[in-house]
Amino acid sequence: MPIEFEDTSDTLRTIRIAGRLDLVGTDEIATKFAALSTVHDRRVVVDLTGVSFLASIGIRSIITNAKALQQRGGRMVLFVGSNESVAKTLETTGIDSLIPLFSDQAAAVAAASA
Amino acid sequence: MQLGAHDMLNTAALDIRAAVSDVRVASEWMAGFAAAQNVPPEQINRLDLCLNEALANVISYGNEAALTQPVLLRMHVRCEHGACEAAVTVSDAGMAFDMAHAPIAERPHSLAEAEPGGLGLLMIRSFSDALTYQRSNSRNELTFCVRWNGQAAA
Repeated sequence: MPIEFEDTSDTLRTIRIAGRLDLVGTDEIATKFAALSTVHDRRVVVDLTGVSFLASIGIRSIITNAKALQQRGGRMVLFVGSNESVAKTLETTGIDSLIPLFSDQAAAVAAASA
Repeated sequence: MQLGAHDMLNTAALDIRAAVSDVRVASEWMAGFAAAQNVPPEQINRLDLCLNEALANVISYGNEAALTQPVLLRMHVRCEHGACEAAVTVSDAGMAFDMAHAPIAERPHSLAEAEPGGLGLLMIRSFSDALTYQRSNSRNELTFCVRWNGQAAA
């Protein structure tokens, strides 16, 4: 399953995505990712540690869902762990300045919950 | 580039459809050929990002000619005295569009003002070491290249 979620509290949700977020992979998770992200007033950590490839279409999906969540009073942060290639793609495109990006899971949870 | 006795040039070619389902075919072809030529994984990932963005542009914005005629892929890996490069050329029959010089949209300062899209140009230019475009025989020919120090396969 390339996308799954866990609600660790009433206000905090973790969405884990795995595999290639290219044209095919992003389309496969798009509906579920949007549904999991469009929750009212919830904080969401998107765990990208299992993503092996991140194309611009995958970043578009992240931005779209982060905006939708923000418009509902929520907040999204990204957790990449030691996934250097995904972190580099997000930093190169400047997404880390729009959506907080963390390599440390505890820091990601803390930032989402703040 | 003039090759000497100890230099290697290896080439490959593939024709695909301008279809989402063929993008992974292209990625697997590129990665397989590159790995066989000892291209480092980090460089393969950079080529894969560029290849995906180039093909996504053809599929998303191409006209009827772009979508109905094959997309031609050519690749070479070349090492000369330890200086290596791998380059992929994507040739499509769509209307002229120069990804190497088209203007890149200004990046937003906040999530609220961010509009999805426009990242493909930024990514292909950021992850390639050289990017060239030419219009030839009514086709777009975009070539992206990555470089590293090492050796190609014999």
